[in-house]
Amino acid sequence: MSQRNERSTPLDLEGMTAWLIHHASRRAPDSLSSRLEEEWLADLASRSSAWSRLRFAMGCCWASLVIVSEVPRSRVPAASSAGARGIIALADGPWGYFSKRSGTLFLVAGLHAALFYGLITTLSHTRGSAKPPDLQNQVLKPVPPETLPPPLPRELKLKAWVIDVQKLVDRVPPKVDVEKDPTVRVVDSLEGQVPQLPPEAPPHRVRRVAGGPGAGFPDTADFYPTLSLRLEEEGLSTVQVCVDPQGKLLADPTVVTSSGKARLDEAALRLARAGSGHYRSTTEDGLPVSSCYPLGVRFQLKK
Amino acid sequence: MTRANLDLHWSNDLCRLATMGKKDKDTPVRMSLQTLRVLEAFLENPTAQLAGAEVHQRCGIASGTLYPILIRLESAGWLVSQWEAIDPSSLGRPRRRLYRLTSTGLRRASEVFASFNRGVLA
Repeated sequence: MSQRNERSTPLDLEGMTAWLIHHASRRAPDSLSSRLEEEWLADLASRSSAWSRLRFAMGCCWASLVIVSEVPRSRVPAASSAGARGIIALADGPWGYFSKRSGTLFLVAGLHAALFYGLITTLSHTRGSAKPPDLQNQVLKPVPPETLPPPLPRELKLKAWVIDVQKLVDRVPPKVDVEKDPTVRVVDSLEGQVPQLPPEAPPHRVRRVAGGPGAGFPDTADFYPTLSLRLEEEGLSTVQVCVDPQGKLLADPTVVTSSGKARLDEAALRLARAGSGHYRSTTEDGLPVSSCYPLGVRFQLKK
Repeated sequence: MTRANLDLHWSNDLCRLATMGKKDKDTPVRMSLQTLRVLEAFLENPTAQLAGAEVHQRCGIASGTLYPILIRLESAGWLVSQWEAIDPSSLGRPRRRLYRLTSTGLRRASEVFASFNRGVLA
């Protein structure tokens, strides 16, 4: 005990190592706890350096952890004598030929290999698509310098162009002697060679009958705005409708003449749209044709 | 070559491949490099009794590795241990735990080292 006091350091490493060994031995299995503490304290006493003793104590802590993990599967004699035979296998479970650490090492290596394989196979697809086209050697032809037109003079001098016009006398063809020239043939008369046009037919007057609301056309009263009824608004709206031969609208109707009330104009448009298919088409010579015509819608309150 | 030798060769081949070694069905001790060094310390004088501190001096193995190996070999029957027969008060130091190689441990350890061509005789 006196030796320990002599070896003690200001940091009290002695007490720390003793505490570590005591703590480590208590973590060991109960059957080995007292034995290991006495054994480790005895081996600790053989060490001279304080730091060496501290390392030894820390190693004992680790040793107790290892022993705890192994001893439950075995039976170590707590105070075996020379003749004791506690031959119990430290079975490490179904790890086959490899220890746990080797198995873990192989497992981690396998996971890394799988990860790298996945990355390589995934990135190879994009790498191939992103491959730039092969370089091609091409001799470039020298580009001739651009020849700019000379700058315009600041003061343009207009020339007076003189056009020689020959006298009409010179352009008159020479007279041909009809009697002497064999290439010339005299035609006595053009009568009978000019095509006779047929006499002009009298203009045909198309009999056109304008269309309008036909059978089944909606009633104006159904589209009379309620607010206009309360305000007693009246008026005549004229909308332009384009109707095909079947009586259907060809285009959206538009207001031609307003009634002075926006509500009544809008109601007239709704009425015109609702009547699509019920219009009486315009006829020309009795045949229905497509046409556009104004449609007057009168909103009038009944007295 | 006998069947036992074939097994030993097979186990030691695996021991060389994997550092952690292999557990043979006849020798349920994991033959790690540190275990071999501890056995080598005992095989230098098979009849000697060594404390943990002396094994540490001979092998240079840290206490965190050494004592689990000693416990493992003892549980496998390769080593036996007993308290040092001294009077602590007279010597001024605590009694130590002494380990000694058993006959089984001596035979097994010799076979292991023989497979490594170390030529250790039992």
